[in-house]
Amino acid sequence: MLKLTSINTSYGHIRALKGISIEVNKGEIVCLLGSNGAGKTTALMTVSGILKPDSGDIYFERESIKGLAPHLIVKKGICQVPEGRRIFPKFTVLENLETGAFVSAVQNFNKNLERVFSLFPILKERKNQTAGTLSGGEQQMLAIGRALMSNPRLLLLDEPSLGLAPILAGKIFKTIAEINNEGITILLVEQNANAALKLSHRGYVLENGSIKLHGSGEELLHNEDLKKAYLGI
Amino acid sequence: MIKDIIEKIRALTKKSIIFRSSLIAAWAAILFLPFKDIKTAVMMFLSVLIGLSAIFFVRKSNFYQTFLEEFHPDFPHRFRKPALIALLIAFFVSPFILADYYLDVLIISGIYIILALGLNVIVGFAGLLNLGFAAFYAIGAYTYALLNTKLGLGFWACLPLSALSASFAGLLLAIPALRLRGDYLAIVTLGFGEIVRLTLNNWDSLTNGPNGITGIASPSLMNLSLGRLEYFYYIVFAFVLLTLAIIRRVESSRIGRAWIAIKENEIAASSIGINITKYKLYAFTFGTFWAGIAGTLFASKMQFVSPESFTFIESVFILSMVILGGLGNTYGTVLGAFILALLPEVLRGVQLYRMLILGLGLVLLMIFRPQGLLGGGKSVRIRN
Repeated sequence: MLKLTSINTSYGHIRALKGISIEVNKGEIVCLLGSNGAGKTTALMTVSGILKPDSGDIYFERESIKGLAPHLIVKKGICQVPEGRRIFPKFTVLENLETGAFVSAVQNFNKNLERVFSLFPILKERKNQTAGTLSGGEQQMLAIGRALMSNPRLLLLDEPSLGLAPILAGKIFKTIAEINNEGITILLVEQNANAALKLSHRGYVLENGSIKLHGSGEELLHNEDLKKAYLGI
Repeated sequence: MIKDIIEKIRALTKKSIIFRSSLIAAWAAILFLPFKDIKTAVMMFLSVLIGLSAIFFVRKSNFYQTFLEEFHPDFPHRFRKPALIALLIAFFVSPFILADYYLDVLIISGIYIILALGLNVIVGFAGLLNLGFAAFYAIGAYTYALLNTKLGLGFWACLPLSALSASFAGLLLAIPALRLRGDYLAIVTLGFGEIVRLTLNNWDSLTNGPNGITGIASPSLMNLSLGRLEYFYYIVFAFVLLTLAIIRRVESSRIGRAWIAIKENEIAASSIGINITKYKLYAFTFGTFWAGIAGTLFASKMQFVSPESFTFIESVFILSMVILGGLGNTYGTVLGAFILALLPEVLRGVQLYRMLILGLGLVLLMIFRPQGLLGGGKSVRIRN
């Protein structure tokens, strides 16, 4: 479904991604792991078009999306949930979700809204509350819900468990599995490697901008090198 | 030792209303001292002291507390409609009541309201700081002035032309400038404002330089000149209403939502598929359009334009109106523009101090109500 071939991306003179190739098949959850500065977020931003790669190619459903503007990529069916719950704090919950439907067809609005509310019942309860007053976990749910309003086929999640209490992080991971069960493919970036690998079909481990390891979630979870070098278990 | 004294003063300020008021009053009096004699400063001290104590006492009183509890949540909304209607009627009949001088002041404030509403689209909705707004005002005014005096075109024919030329200038500036953000964008717009003013000032053959252009026609309708103050008042009044109506519509539309989303969080806005560049360009062209309208009204009112009217201070003045009223709040912007346009006239009696009072007022506003008079919320609430 999504295929990155030897992507190079730089910030100015600093090369953050050094020829990475990633493939995500339809219906999968694929996670990108790695320590801080490994290039996980850069990889997601390159897919969503916020960053432009220097070379390499990105295919979405066999069509090159390299160099397209972010809003056109959203229209193709890829939606990113940016790191750190970037909701619109002064909008109400409902207004946030409405704005999330910016590119999707009007007739799908109610259907999408129902889906988000059934995934996150708390958002329905709080739909008229100002989003900035929600708790961290609720804001993360809202950010995911808002992305779902654009009816994406591929969802890019950037550290959804960042700064959440373990119980809330667990809840978010459960919901990610639910979203995937509904047929939405997911590319996930996480620091919480253990939880992410349990959830994912496949995973890639990034180090200094290149791919170090790659395999099924189960394999990586039991890989001794990975455990020592990265997971610290 | 010194720490203890400061602690004591702090505790006393919290506890005693009189002490708190007298501290503030003393500060105000000291500010006034350099400008007048001691007697005035003492008067200042006493009046601020009495005024502030009264405000603090009322705030503390039971009456105010029960008032807050009972009315506060929907107090403004309950009176909104009748208040708006009363205001409309008041403004509609004012030419029959008011002397020419006051009518003149109202016309100027009407023009400022249109300007401030336009700037509010750019700064308040889309969050793009613009410090050169007077340039677009100037382009509107000069377009009408030149088309009228050189080609003999009338007011109504020129109005769309000058609005569009201001809008076009906005687009031309925005295309390169929107690559910049925040402070950098502000500096570029400031530079643009100066470039326009200096061009007008030095292009003698076209704009007659610092002497300006004279003999600009007033608007007319079927050979009937509308230059008389009463008629002109109604024209400006109608344009203010038109501007308000259109801006309110756009604000609650898809475009308005995209603007506010961009201001709230640019990365989030782009992640859900809003074309940031496109909507920023819309904001610039739409906002500057109203500067063109205001410029045309100004030129035909004064029948004279010169670069002096479009300085950097003018841009800052318009920006202050938007900030005073509350960034992003349409009604607030109207209120802010009205107050700031009126204030210099109201304070004409204390000529010497009016800039001081204006400045002091703005400083106090920023301390006590940084979101502006009506700011904080949004003026458009989507009902569910």
